[in-house]
Amino acid sequence: MKSILLGAICFLLATPCLSQNKITISGYIKDASNGEALIGATVFIKEVAGGTTSNVYGFYSLTLPAGSYSVEYHYLGFQTAVHEVSLTQDARLDIELSMREEMLKEVVITSKALDERLKSVEMSTNEIDIKSIEKLPAFAGEVDIIKSIQLLPGVTTVGEGASGFNVRGGTVGQNLVLLDEAPVYQSSHLFGFFSVFNPDAVKDVKLYKGGIPAQYGGRLSSILDIRMKEGNAKKYHVNGGIGTIFSRLAIEGPIKKEKSSFIIAARRSYADVLAKAFTDALSDGTKLYFYDLTAKTNFNINEKNRIYFAGYLGRDVFKFDRFQGFNWGNRTATFRWNHLYGNKLFSNYTLFHSTYDYGFQIGESNLDKYDWKSAIRTYNFKPEYTWFANTNNEVTFGGEAILYRFDPANALSVSDGVNTDISLDERKAIEASLYLANSQRISEKFSVQYGLRFSSFHYLGGTVFHYGDTTAGVMKPLRATSEKSEWETISNYGNLEPRASFRYQLTNSASVKGSYTRMNQYIHLISNTTASTPIDIWQASTNNIKPQQGNQVALGLFKNFKSNAYETSVETYYKWNKNQIDYIDGADLFINQFLESQLLSGDGRAYGVELYAKKNTGKVTGWVSYTLGRSELKVDGINYGTDRENRVGNWYPTRYDQRHNVKVAAFYDINKKISLSANFSYISGTPTTFPTDRITIQGYAIPYISGSSRNNYRIPDYHRLDLSATFNNIWRGKKSRRGEDYLVVSFYNVYARQNPFSIYFSQGRDRQPANQPVTTSATQLSMIGTIVPAVSYNFKF
Amino acid sequence: MKNIRYLIILALAMAGCETTIHPELNSAEQIVVVDAWVNQKPERQEIRITRSQPYFENANPTKIDGASATIEDLNNGTIYNFQEGETSYYWDPVNEPLGVVGHAYRLTVTVEGETYEAYSRLGRVPAIDSIEFQFNRKTLIINQDHYTAQFKALEPEGVGDTYWIKAWKNGVYLGKPGELNMTYDAGFTPGQSVDGQQFIIPIRKDFVNPLDENPDKKNEFLPPYLVGDSLYVEIHSIDRAAYEFLFGVYFQISRPGGFAELFAMPLANSTTNLQNIDKNSRKNIAGFFNVAAVSSRGQKITQEIAEKAKKSSD
Repeated sequence: MKSILLGAICFLLATPCLSQNKITISGYIKDASNGEALIGATVFIKEVAGGTTSNVYGFYSLTLPAGSYSVEYHYLGFQTAVHEVSLTQDARLDIELSMREEMLKEVVITSKALDERLKSVEMSTNEIDIKSIEKLPAFAGEVDIIKSIQLLPGVTTVGEGASGFNVRGGTVGQNLVLLDEAPVYQSSHLFGFFSVFNPDAVKDVKLYKGGIPAQYGGRLSSILDIRMKEGNAKKYHVNGGIGTIFSRLAIEGPIKKEKSSFIIAARRSYADVLAKAFTDALSDGTKLYFYDLTAKTNFNINEKNRIYFAGYLGRDVFKFDRFQGFNWGNRTATFRWNHLYGNKLFSNYTLFHSTYDYGFQIGESNLDKYDWKSAIRTYNFKPEYTWFANTNNEVTFGGEAILYRFDPANALSVSDGVNTDISLDERKAIEASLYLANSQRISEKFSVQYGLRFSSFHYLGGTVFHYGDTTAGVMKPLRATSEKSEWETISNYGNLEPRASFRYQLTNSASVKGSYTRMNQYIHLISNTTASTPIDIWQASTNNIKPQQGNQVALGLFKNFKSNAYETSVETYYKWNKNQIDYIDGADLFINQFLESQLLSGDGRAYGVELYAKKNTGKVTGWVSYTLGRSELKVDGINYGTDRENRVGNWYPTRYDQRHNVKVAAFYDINKKISLSANFSYISGTPTTFPTDRITIQGYAIPYISGSSRNNYRIPDYHRLDLSATFNNIWRGKKSRRGEDYLVVSFYNVYARQNPFSIYFSQGRDRQPANQPVTTSATQLSMIGTIVPAVSYNFKF
Repeated sequence: MKNIRYLIILALAMAGCETTIHPELNSAEQIVVVDAWVNQKPERQEIRITRSQPYFENANPTKIDGASATIEDLNNGTIYNFQEGETSYYWDPVNEPLGVVGHAYRLTVTVEGETYEAYSRLGRVPAIDSIEFQFNRKTLIINQDHYTAQFKALEPEGVGDTYWIKAWKNGVYLGKPGELNMTYDAGFTPGQSVDGQQFIIPIRKDFVNPLDENPDKKNEFLPPYLVGDSLYVEIHSIDRAAYEFLFGVYFQISRPGGFAELFAMPLANSTTNLQNIDKNSRKNIAGFFNVAAVSSRGQKITQEIAEKAKKSSD
């Protein structure tokens, strides 16, 4: 493995040596107003009709033959900067771009940055800039990054209140959500109603649905890469807002001007504060709140070195009284060091830690209670290198080492004063990976990106459970257990993950792209409920649970119209996955040391077409997307029809198999003062299981499904329209008051549709009279069946 | 995750809107159902052999005529022949109860030309030592002073005893799906083993205190017990397979709706311990066989008990 990597590096190193007098220009591209690094800004050299883009830290590097060049720097929404340079020796060019003043006027966009979607090899990715996210009408008026992601093609959710999101027919647990490189295991506040990211601290959001670069791995479906702001390096700013659910405050500014800066952003819900003011019926111990705190700072040590510290802390607390309640939260800490070797090799070393934990307490006194805590902790080290070899090759390589500590249950049961420790052992695992990739421009029209990732996983010490085989779909019998010492490997897995994509420019305004991605996932989100919830647990691959493996091919056609005023694309994808997890009927997944006996494994497939059109300029901007998709599983023991002997499973639609998915987001700037926005969602109803019969046992009417079908029906379709209006500078910005402010009035679910979340069959909650036949019925539930108006006031000074 | 009951009750106020609907279902298979839960109580023991009904058919299932049902004690060879009755197949004890604790039993049912067998082990059961009442002031959801009950029974040491605890308030069986109370030793599940102790508080208390919605006031509940009310509790020993069956059934039938739907599990067929002796038969069967030992105790809240409970709460 190592020799392949070395060989490839040597080959690439050899290429530029063939010609002489190569000069490198490099530097950082920043926003002139606040010193924030600009991610993905284009550097274009007219003379060679080529260039590069800045990386996530704003760094770029270009190697050219000596000579005179006109270097253009482009970034969407910013004024293009042109530098005439005469290169005789390596040069450092740090650039600051200014935001275009005439943002609100209709302008003819000539910025090359806009055709990035055409020119880049990247496909199956979506970026939403934070400005658009802030403008979208949001539930309860709270700007929400995860909810905005759900407006993109190929992204769905199973309904209001569900945590997370589904990408191209994948599970919630198959998404890797990164906040400044650190994984965030649970992205929800208040179950799934709000997400944990404070928009005030977020700079850039990028979703990879396919064609995933070799530097990422570990999840099957997607990577959501969220980058935090660095903090204004020039002057102090206070940002804040008062909403219906949260109040927010963010402070940013320079620590040492142009050298280092910081940002601290906090949010807290205040439903409890309000409730206490209106009622005294809540008992003393009652608590109901959620908060998050995001902080980041960076130090520009010198031209070659820069360091960053970032941290996130968020928690949801629901306490009904002193002894009953639950809570959950994430904590992450990231330390990063950017170092430049020469001017062509950019490196970043990241050390980070992430913890997700939750607690659950019930009981009524210290003598009778139940206390359960669960956590997953990760410690990562991630060195990454980008070598800007020449204008035609950009090589990335690096690796990642992760130590996982799974603590599924730290639990105590006290009954009548007698304590029983029902904790499960902590388990450890190591995931390590290495990757090498090259982004190569073969001709002006044809570019490729190819790479290889090697990932490995070691499940470490403790009790090893050996299960026997049985009928598919039934709890596996425990045959034996054995013990391994703490750091001894119980089982290990190693996999090669090839990645490749290409872009071919058909015309000036059209290109075709294709990609192949293989991913492996070694940790699994165990969830057998209608929606993913915060109490789902993460489970390592073991001797009984194989890593999930996914393959995806995607092909896309990208075309821009009217000088890039309109962007359109069509993408198709096909995914085939192995070792997908499902559960035996009646599985007991909580605090169960025999959890592995409850899991089933099968194949998955998903395919679809995504259409996307976006209007970038003018008074009305926005996008329309449509996804036609399918997502299915085939697991022995589930949906086996009449094959009671072998129970060989037939394909069945997953819970998030949503055939049609239409999303519209529109923004209309009436004038400088008022802007309107709207979004509309239409999603096919999620599959669910309807019974055929009822069987009566001991007076209970139990549903029975002929043919043991799974997900044989669909709940009605989901559709919803949201509207909002933003009023700028209602108090600030007037009469020489400093800063700016805006008021957002939003309406969620404007036509008050009672969108179904689920349909369930039961004999009801009412007590049924004795000796009378049991009444069974079907109930359709909507989580939010009304229009939800909200107002928020936001300010910045 | 039966503990979620708490969350559910408290989240009821947050519940979205629910509508009863009448979707068209696939045609019913109308399979044979054997409901064979017999016990050592000195009363008529019944086995119901019926057919499953279309899900929305709100009628009592009718007995399949002409079947036969026999239970055999595999330890001492005793045969219990069940007679065909009006609505069920029955056996009446004379002096001796059905079965002996520790013995294994086989049920043989012949219906419509097919023969099914099922096995069960008769497990031990702890005595109920007392039923106690506690005084509670009015709360957010119960708008008057009231009493809550709990039973005390010391679960015997030794891992792997499983029980079904049934309760009656004023003679009315607490038979709501959410009140289905099966235990693994003194706790909920084998993964959370609590053994040789008092049953944990949700089992010995929460499941025997009915929470019925106040028909006159939304989001309020009727008091579980008031002076004059009574509670009667039975502990039935069940075997491990019957416990697994009930555990699965609980999640299939207990659908409190509202916010709790987030936590609902996919609908699936409950298990059965009945097997067709003809392995090649394609006929489906549902139902369960268990032989139980039973302990019981009842208590009424007299004025005296009420006063005492009130005093000790101060």
